[in-house]
Amino acid sequence: MNTVEIEDLSFTYPGASQPTLLNVTFTIEKGDFLAIVGNNGCGKSTLCKVINGLIPHFIVGDMQGNVRVCDMDTRTSDVGTLAQKVGYVYQDFENQIVRPTVLDDASYACLNFAFKDYEERGRRALALCGLEGLDDEYVWQLSGGQTHLLALAGAVSLQPDVIILDEPIAQLDPKHADAIYEVLKDLNENHGKTIVVIEHHTEYIADYCKHVLLLKDGTVRWKLPAHEALRRVEELEASDIFPPQVTQAAHRFKVTGSLAHVETLPTTVGEGKAAFASLKRDTHGNDANQMTDTPAVDGEASRGNTSDAASSSAAPAEPESESDAPDALASSAAPEDASNMPSVPAVEFNDVTLGYRSVKGDRHVVLDHFDLSINEGEKIALIGSNGAGKSTIMKLMVGLLKPAAGTVSLFGSPIGNKKAEEISRQISLVYQNPEEMFIKDSIENDISFAMRVRDVPQWEEKTAQLLERFRLTDLRNRDGRLMSGGQMRRASLAIGIALNPSILLLDEPTANLDIATRREIMAVLDDMKDIIKTAVIATHDMQLVCQWAERIIVLCGGKVVADGTREEVFGDKRLAQLVGIRPPEIFTMARALDDDARCFTVDEFVSGFKEA
Amino acid sequence: MENAMSKTMNKLSENVLDKFSMDFLRNQVLKNAYGNTDTVIAKLDPRILLVWYVFFALVPWFVNNVPFLLGCFILVLITTALARVAGLVLFVFALGVFSQTGYLFVVSLLFGGDASTVLPLLILTLKVATVSLASITVFSGLDPDRLSNGLLWFGVPERLSFSISYAYRMLPMLMEEFQNVLLSYKLRGNPPSHDTLMGKIRYLIYQVKVIMQSFYPLMLNTAKRARTTVEALELRGYRNAASNKEVRKIMLSSLRVQYSDFMFIAISVLWVALSALVSTLI
Repeated sequence: MNTVEIEDLSFTYPGASQPTLLNVTFTIEKGDFLAIVGNNGCGKSTLCKVINGLIPHFIVGDMQGNVRVCDMDTRTSDVGTLAQKVGYVYQDFENQIVRPTVLDDASYACLNFAFKDYEERGRRALALCGLEGLDDEYVWQLSGGQTHLLALAGAVSLQPDVIILDEPIAQLDPKHADAIYEVLKDLNENHGKTIVVIEHHTEYIADYCKHVLLLKDGTVRWKLPAHEALRRVEELEASDIFPPQVTQAAHRFKVTGSLAHVETLPTTVGEGKAAFASLKRDTHGNDANQMTDTPAVDGEASRGNTSDAASSSAAPAEPESESDAPDALASSAAPEDASNMPSVPAVEFNDVTLGYRSVKGDRHVVLDHFDLSINEGEKIALIGSNGAGKSTIMKLMVGLLKPAAGTVSLFGSPIGNKKAEEISRQISLVYQNPEEMFIKDSIENDISFAMRVRDVPQWEEKTAQLLERFRLTDLRNRDGRLMSGGQMRRASLAIGIALNPSILLLDEPTANLDIATRREIMAVLDDMKDIIKTAVIATHDMQLVCQWAERIIVLCGGKVVADGTREEVFGDKRLAQLVGIRPPEIFTMARALDDDARCFTVDEFVSGFKEA
Repeated sequence: MENAMSKTMNKLSENVLDKFSMDFLRNQVLKNAYGNTDTVIAKLDPRILLVWYVFFALVPWFVNNVPFLLGCFILVLITTALARVAGLVLFVFALGVFSQTGYLFVVSLLFGGDASTVLPLLILTLKVATVSLASITVFSGLDPDRLSNGLLWFGVPERLSFSISYAYRMLPMLMEEFQNVLLSYKLRGNPPSHDTLMGKIRYLIYQVKVIMQSFYPLMLNTAKRARTTVEALELRGYRNAASNKEVRKIMLSSLRVQYSDFMFIAISVLWVALSALVSTLI
C-alpha cells in the first residue's frame, strides 16, 4: 500500500522563471525509510513541503499534477488534517519550537487539535525520542541534539503516518547523529511509521534507509533500494553526493581492473570485508599506511547496527595501548612542536577560565584552567562533541568573549591590551551561521565594509577581486541572506579574509554543504595559504579533518583531551569512547582488513592495498 | 576634576557594550519570565491576581490621601519583594518613576520650592510608584503562560494571549541574534580610539550608531527565522486552536482557585481597609 502517491507534479515559485519541480512522479510505500538525495538547491525541501500540504495551501505558486497522502488529495484537504498525517522537522528546527518548556512544546500540537490527553501524548512522544525526565526543562537550555529530538517529538506526538526530516544530522556530532537515527529506526520498525529524510551523509543512508530517491534539477532520476542506489557511484558524484567511502574505494579498484570477481560494490564496512577479502596491504611501497612505532589498538567501534564490523573486527586490545592516556598524548606533542617552531606562538591560552550563569542562577563552567598554544603555520582541526567548547575557544581568540580568569595572547601580547583594529588584521573568524556576518544590504558592501572603515588603499579594487575569486560578481548587489547555502558560505569566507588576516578561524565550514561547495572551500584555503598562515577549523566532518588537518585538538568538557596527528588521535581507542569521535569509514574499513593499517582517505586506501 | 570626569566617561563608554552586554539583558529577561516560578506570587491563580491588579491600577489615581497611598505602596512593595523580580526590571522602574515625577521634585527645589510644592509631587510619585509596582508584581511575578491563561479566561482573544507567551519564547532568540550582529560590527568595524575625553565621547556616539545600524540585519535575520516558525505554527495546529472552543476549555481547565488565593485576597483587603481606617483617623 502506498502512503504517498505523486503524479506528474510540477511546481513553480511565484516570480521564478524556472519550475523548481518538473514532472515528478513517484510513490512511497507504507513503512518505507526513504532518503531523498540531490545537490544543493535541487528542490528537495520543496518536494517535502508538497507532501505535507504547505504547498499549495500555505506557500502559493503554480502547482500542477496530483499529490495523494494517506488517500487524501492534498489540494482538497486542509493543512491541519494533513499535519496529523505528516509530521515535519525543519532543517532550522530550533525555529519550530514555540513553547518555553519541553513537555509544553511536545504536547503543543495535540492541545491545538483538542486532544484531551494532550500531556500524555506529549510524554509518550518524549519517551519515544529519548527525552524522558526533561519535561520541565527550558528549551534554550537543551543541547543542539536534544533540541532536534524535541522538534521530532513535537511531530511524533500527533502520531502521524509519515515523518519527514530535512537534513536531521547536519550540525550534530556522531553520537547525537546516531541517537536521532536510532529513534527513527525504532519509529520505522516498531511503530510502523514511514520515514522520509533529506540526507547527504551516505554512510547513514547505507545503515538505516531502505530506498533512495535521486532528485536532479527538479526531476526524479530514479528511486532504488538503498544499497543498489549507493552503488551508482558516478551518477551520485555527478549530483555532488559522496557515496560511502567503502563504495568509492571499491569503485576505484574496479575502474583500474582489480576486484574483477566482485559483482556488486560494497556499501558498508560489513559488506566491504567480504568484497575486499582478496586485498593485502602493500607494506613495501607505502610508508604512509604503516604505524610500526605505535602499539596496535583494536578497531574503533564501527557505527550503526546493520554493519557487523564492530563485532568481527574486535581483536583483543593490548594492555599497553590502554595506558596510553589522552593526557599523556597531549603533553608529549607539545615539546616536540616547540623545538622546530618560532618561539612566540600565534595564539596562546594561559590558564583560561570562562563560565556563564543560567536562568536559575547556577554557574556553568565552559572552560576551566584551559591551556593551549597554536603556532604559526599550523593547520588545526578542533573536534569534540556538541557543547565541548569549540565555538567558545574561537570567540576567545578574536576577543569576542573575555575570559573570567587567565589570558589569551595573540603573537605574544594579551588580547585585552590590543585594539580591535589590530586584532582584526591578525585574526579573523567565519561564523558557523553565515547570516550573522551579513550586516549590510548587499554582499559587496559587506565584503568592503571592514576595508572601507579602515581606509585600506584601493579597497574598491580589492573588493572586486574578492567578488571575482569567490564567483560572486554577478550576485554582488544581492542581500546575503537571500542567497543559497553554498553562495552564503562563499560570501562569508570572502568577508572573513577581506583584511588578509594571518590566522583564519572557521566554525563548521562544511555543515549543510554538498561536495562541490565543500571542495571549493578547501580549494580556497589551499589557494590562500601564502596569506593565511595559520588556520583553525572547528568541525564534526572527520573526512575533512583527515584530508586537511596536520594537528588535531580534541576537546571534551572544556578540556583538551588529546592533541596530535590523525594517527595519534584516531589510533587511541579510549579516546574514541571518551569523547564520541569517530574516524572516517575508510579508516575503520582498512583496520577491519588489517589491524595495522592506517588509511585516512580513499586515496590512501586505494594506494595502500593491492590484490594478492 | 578632569581626571574624575574622564574616569566616569571611561566607565560609561565601556559599559554600553561590555558590562551591560546582551548576555546580561537576555539573562535578566529570562530570569524575570521563568526564573521565579516557585515564589508565593507565581503560585497564585492568575485570575485572582488580575482582579487584584485592577484594584491597585485604578484606585490610587482617585485617592489623594497620603496615609492610604502609603499603605497601598507598602503592600505592593511587599508583593514585589515576594515575586522576586529581576534587578533590571526594578532598575527600569526606578528610572521610570524618576523620569516621570522625581526630576520635577528636584527642579522645584532648585527654583526655591518648599514643602508646599513638594507635597503634591510626593503624592503623584506615590501613585505612579504604587501602580507600577502592582504591574511589576503581576506581569513579571507570573510566568507568561499562566498570565496568558488568566487573560484568556477573562475573554481576551486567543491571539493576544498567545502572543504574550510567544514573545517571551522569541525574546532570547532575538537578543542572541542582536548580539551576533553587534559582534560582527565589533569584529569588522573600526571604532575611534578612546584615550582622550573627546575620543571617549566619539566612541560612545559610535557605539550608539552601531546599535542603531544593527537593527536592519536584526530584522531581516529574524524575519528569515520567523518564516519557519509561521509555517511550523500552521502545521502544529495554531489556527485550529484559535477557532476551536474545545481547545480553550482544555487550556483553562488547569486554572484552580486555592486556599492560598483566598488568603492573599483576604490579607490585601484587610490591609487596604486598615490603611483607609488610619487615613480617616489622622
